[in-house]
Amino acid sequence: MNSAPMAMVREIIRQGKKDLTMVALVAGLPIDWLAAAGSIKRVITGLVSLEGFGLAQHFRRGVQDRKIVIEEYSEHLLICRLQAQAHGLPFVPTRAGLGTDVLKLHRDTKTVREEVDQSTGEHYVACTRLPIEIALVHCHEADHAGNARVNPKLIWMDNELVNAASSTVLSTEAIVETSAFRAEPWRTTYPRFMTSTVVHAPFGALPTSMFPSYSHNSRFYERYVAASSESKSFQTFFEKYVVGPESWEEFLEINDLTKAGPTTGFESKNK
Amino acid sequence: MTAAVPGYECTIDELMVVAFSRALLPDTRAFNGAVSFIPACAFMLARGTHAPNLVWSAGSIGIDAAPEEIPESTLSDGIWQGATMLANSPFDFWAHAQGGRYNTFSFRGAQIDRHGNVNNTVIGAYDAPKVRLAGGGGMADLSVMIPRIMLWSTTHTPRTFVRQVDFRSGFGYGDGGDDRENRGMRGGPVVCITNLCVFGFDPRTKHMKINSLHPGVSFEAVSSATGFDLAIPSSPLPNTPCPTSTELRLLREVIDPHGARRREFS
Repeated sequence: MNSAPMAMVREIIRQGKKDLTMVALVAGLPIDWLAAAGSIKRVITGLVSLEGFGLAQHFRRGVQDRKIVIEEYSEHLLICRLQAQAHGLPFVPTRAGLGTDVLKLHRDTKTVREEVDQSTGEHYVACTRLPIEIALVHCHEADHAGNARVNPKLIWMDNELVNAASSTVLSTEAIVETSAFRAEPWRTTYPRFMTSTVVHAPFGALPTSMFPSYSHNSRFYERYVAASSESKSFQTFFEKYVVGPESWEEFLEINDLTKAGPTTGFESKNK
Repeated sequence: MTAAVPGYECTIDELMVVAFSRALLPDTRAFNGAVSFIPACAFMLARGTHAPNLVWSAGSIGIDAAPEEIPESTLSDGIWQGATMLANSPFDFWAHAQGGRYNTFSFRGAQIDRHGNVNNTVIGAYDAPKVRLAGGGGMADLSVMIPRIMLWSTTHTPRTFVRQVDFRSGFGYGDGGDDRENRGMRGGPVVCITNLCVFGFDPRTKHMKINSLHPGVSFEAVSSATGFDLAIPSSPLPNTPCPTSTELRLLREVIDPHGARRREFS
């Protein structure tokens, strides 16, 4: 529900990409869109839901009908796997998942496995490397070289994905000059050598949020959830409101998303 | 509308929030996850009554938040309003959680078993699920890392309260007895607050037991709504205490004037 790269996800669907493996630590709408479009064959995740709006129905049906394979972890197991990859380490330890059935799912592959520390006798889970081919992240500002920042600071796990990925495609609310980064280098989130491609996509996270610029759009979520319960008419809805619009601007327009304003309660503080 | 509690000047959602609030110790350092309207209300209520120094990180990000109203999602940025700090998830929140700086975690699920293990992953066999649920998210992590676990459920039925969960997404007392302790995990579930009663846990067997019944609910009613055996009480069970007028006023007028807590009842 927060800062998902929705403009890029929509474009993946429009380009008819198939058989994708997606890594999404705690996921929602983007994975459900891709599931609805039949774009994914495998999801590596800890959770897929639309939170207060309900279950992600296309993801759920995809897994129940065995069209989508889920490789299931938990949030912190995946953070640790990404950190192992980012640092080039064989594994990163955590206590996450001990005693749960989540570990049992990986007995054969041993991607996460329970071990005992030789000196203290403590049990931990060794989380092995999780290589990512391409990370997709959204940010507030980027220059043409690929320096980028998230305002006012990075909250979520985007950096874990970027650091674990071979390449990163970045969408941004605004393109700025490199001098803007030199003026306040302490605010930079990603340096240019960590990013490969920059896409200018204002409101590119809608209908999810991009704190503090705009909140998630409840009305879209409600319409989407209502449409998801009618499997016959859903494709018409999905085509008209999600896949069909020729440009991102058109998508925003037809879904009445162009008036997105600052997150409630943070208006005055984040000018 | 949620049901009125017979004999009390409140509804069931309000009784659950107040019971949850009173179960919070003054040194509570807590955060909340998804669809956690009742805990979010309870953290703010406890902070406004007996636990002024309680720490609550809204949506695990907004430390000491004081939102003017609880938004429709307890993980959305609207709930961070009034925070003194927005934590970065991997480096602040997860370090604070695993490092033992938080002491209280509340979660719920589609199934809860007699030892307080919770399932929010699949109903039925994992490889051929009857229902594929959202997944545990951080439940498998935090149920292991945080010592004081508070469970709740607004759907007290034999479908929710099962003898054994189909999938252990969150760890309570495992197989019961010393199982949790033997795995090197501190604490465990302390209460489970439902729409019928307040459960505690037997100190030795770690089996759920009734601490109090909500007014108008009998032991038999709880027993038949529960999919595992409950010890027959040797003396009459107390009623869940009545909320004070201060608690009800704070909840209704200050903390949750628009009734977001009722989103958990449908």
